[in-house]
Amino acid sequence: MSKIPGDLRYTESHEWVKKDGEFFTLGITDYAQNALGDIVFIELPEVGTKLEKGKPCGVVESIKSVSDIYAPISGEVTDVNSELVNMPELCNSDPYGAWFVKVKVTTQDDYNALIPADQYEKHCEHAE
Amino acid sequence: MEQTKRTQLYEEHLHLKAQMAPFAGYEMPIQYSSVKEEVLSVRHGVGVFDVSHMGEFFIEGPEAQEFADYLIPNDLLSLDIHKAVYSPLCRENGTVVDDLIMYKLATNKVLVCMNASNVEKDWNHMRQYQKQFNVKFTNRTESYSLLAVQGPQAVPLLENLGIIKNSDNMAYYSAIETTFGRDELIIARTGYTGEDGVEIFCSHQFVGKLWKMLLEHKAVPCGLASRDVLRMEACYPLYGHEIHDNVTPLDSGLKWTVKLQKNRFVGKEALAQYKPKWQLLKLSIDKMIPRQDYPIENSKGEVIGHVTSGTMSPILNRGIAMAHVAQDQYVKDQQIFINIRNRKCEAQLHKGPFVVGGHK
Repeated sequence: MSKIPGDLRYTESHEWVKKDGEFFTLGITDYAQNALGDIVFIELPEVGTKLEKGKPCGVVESIKSVSDIYAPISGEVTDVNSELVNMPELCNSDPYGAWFVKVKVTTQDDYNALIPADQYEKHCEHAE
Repeated sequence: MEQTKRTQLYEEHLHLKAQMAPFAGYEMPIQYSSVKEEVLSVRHGVGVFDVSHMGEFFIEGPEAQEFADYLIPNDLLSLDIHKAVYSPLCRENGTVVDDLIMYKLATNKVLVCMNASNVEKDWNHMRQYQKQFNVKFTNRTESYSLLAVQGPQAVPLLENLGIIKNSDNMAYYSAIETTFGRDELIIARTGYTGEDGVEIFCSHQFVGKLWKMLLEHKAVPCGLASRDVLRMEACYPLYGHEIHDNVTPLDSGLKWTVKLQKNRFVGKEALAQYKPKWQLLKLSIDKMIPRQDYPIENSKGEVIGHVTSGTMSPILNRGIAMAHVAQDQYVKDQQIFINIRNRKCEAQLHKGPFVVGGHK
């Protein structure tokens, strides 16, 4: 059973988004890290990159596979977790602490449209 | 759609919470704990793989050796009894049908073990030549379970358990028919990891008992994902990657398996004249991870080939790849780049395998 914090919002492609004041951070869920296995490489967008909701914005590689990360919300990248790029295994050990990027948005509509924890839990159960 | 088959150990895999996925028509364990941990357990201790999906054919009769030897470019005839040989299986035109291991169990009995995905294809190919020989040829894939027990501690463990009675009689690439209690086993000192170890062909009734004995003695269950990493580190080719229906063994670093001095074998005439189109390179890069089909480029940015297999090596902590480069576009030791998502990563060329295991 994977961990699903109640205060985050989720996508069906297993990204999480956290509201942090006027900014948003995002990462991949416990379910995602577990399915991927040992994560050994992460590629993140640079500061200033304009994310477009639903478009690939990064890459996560485990030993066995490559996965695109899809932007859960549109907005501008204001900060990148460089510690994570150097230690991609943090994604496995602490998926909700291992944020990828911080994003500034113009509207909260994208965030409001994301799935709440209880619905995401059902989505994961269905996927299993 | 044909229904996905299960090995005898299916319930054991579920019980261990393995990630399962369909592979060659079987529902197979991909990983149990972590690919990295599984790889390291095979390099440093002992791991056990359920590879019961693989195919087993038996060639028996007065001309068993002649038939077996005729099918493959490598040399089975001059092997001693109880020895094994790795070989590609080729068509008349030299292209690769599959690769396999042949075990000379007796003067009149040869076991052939092949990739699960190619069982039917190999069977149909081989059957074409059967009538020229006085042999009984049977497909017993459904009758055998197969465990690969691999790693430096594999043989000591099996000796402790009394399954291998005397490892002195079991040189690398040898095979014996033996018993454990009332159960009949074929134990072969072969594998696909680069480490010492054995492959044990046994009945479906016995395999559960064997699996449990091994796990109780700290053998680590390993899935197909770690098996793939281990074989890439050892630079073993895989059908569908380094070898396939459109290349010959001479395109893929397997010249050593093509014994043109043999009187005859299927594909000999074609291979004797064949000018290789490809050269197989072993490459590693820092940080990034090469994957199958990524382009190989020269310093001018021209595409001269493609990655055939790639992964991250937990031992080297580098991205590793085998790659086909066009023979007419590659100059020995030239600078090589792997194009990864439009980034050019300079690759280091390796002469030998990335990891030299302890098989003997």
